[in-house]
Amino acid sequence: MKFFFSCIIAMLFVVNAADAQKIFATRNGQINFSSPSDQDVKAVNNEVTSRLADNGQITFSLLIKGFKFKLAEMQEHFNDQYLESTKFPRADFKGNIVNLADVNFSKDGSYKVSVKGDLTLHGVTKSITANGTIEIKAGKPSASCQFVIVMKDFSVNASSVTEKVNVDISCQYQ
Amino acid sequence: MRRWKTWQKTILILVVLGILAAGSYALYVYYKPHRDVTNEKGVQLSAQNLYDAFKTNEADANTRYLDKAIELTGEVGAVTKNQDGNTVVDFKTNDPMVVINCTFKTDPGTLTPGQTITFKGICTGYIPDANVVINEGVLVK
Repeated sequence: MKFFFSCIIAMLFVVNAADAQKIFATRNGQINFSSPSDQDVKAVNNEVTSRLADNGQITFSLLIKGFKFKLAEMQEHFNDQYLESTKFPRADFKGNIVNLADVNFSKDGSYKVSVKGDLTLHGVTKSITANGTIEIKAGKPSASCQFVIVMKDFSVNASSVTEKVNVDISCQYQ
Repeated sequence: MRRWKTWQKTILILVVLGILAAGSYALYVYYKPHRDVTNEKGVQLSAQNLYDAFKTNEADANTRYLDKAIELTGEVGAVTKNQDGNTVVDFKTNDPMVVINCTFKTDPGTLTPGQTITFKGICTGYIPDANVVINEGVLVK
């Protein structure tokens, strides 16, 4: 009987531990990018997989071939010449919310956050820090963030088109 | 009026031809249509086959399926809309964490979980522990 009770108590702890961390996820978040120098250079990806945990961990993954341009020809050049998406199909970011104490995941509101982590793009991994917003609405978070990527930091030789792009993240989590 | 010399005429014609060629190339680039899978013959697979291929050997599956038209037949797991309003269907696999995430470019009408459909689209790749992604898709039946 004593053993039985210990088991129950042990199970309660396990359940509590699993409950302590909450993970919000989406498979269809959105990332846009555009060139500050050429308004035709812009694309959107609507299949961004992202997970946001209430311990501050945040990840984004997307497939380069999922970026859609207005011009089909530009999309081909982007994939074949600049990002080499057959060789490097995916881009990943894995990081943490630096000021986690400022975010209350169980209270509706808008929270300014700073996120620091590693971005892997075109086979190159770089540490980046970006500022964004986490908004909690009816218990569900959404994240938005804008930052700049310098092409040559990731060995992307696109200087004939643009030196850098503005990245705009918008993810609604479940 | 002074008559044009033959060499002057030749140069004029060449210049005009050059301008026309450059102009039509620019128009071609600008209006080149996006790829449409509707009339392409797709590789026929089940959701499970496709996931198994990526899970076993991602590099190999990339060479076989990336950028290819894939025709998936299976049971609809979930139906959602993406942030641009396009319909997204998830096909289940035997791993509860992993689905085949399929985005329609045209409106497939009303789809309900549990229904069996055939979807055809372009495979963009695999995100480990999450999904294989197919987009620009159409409903075959």
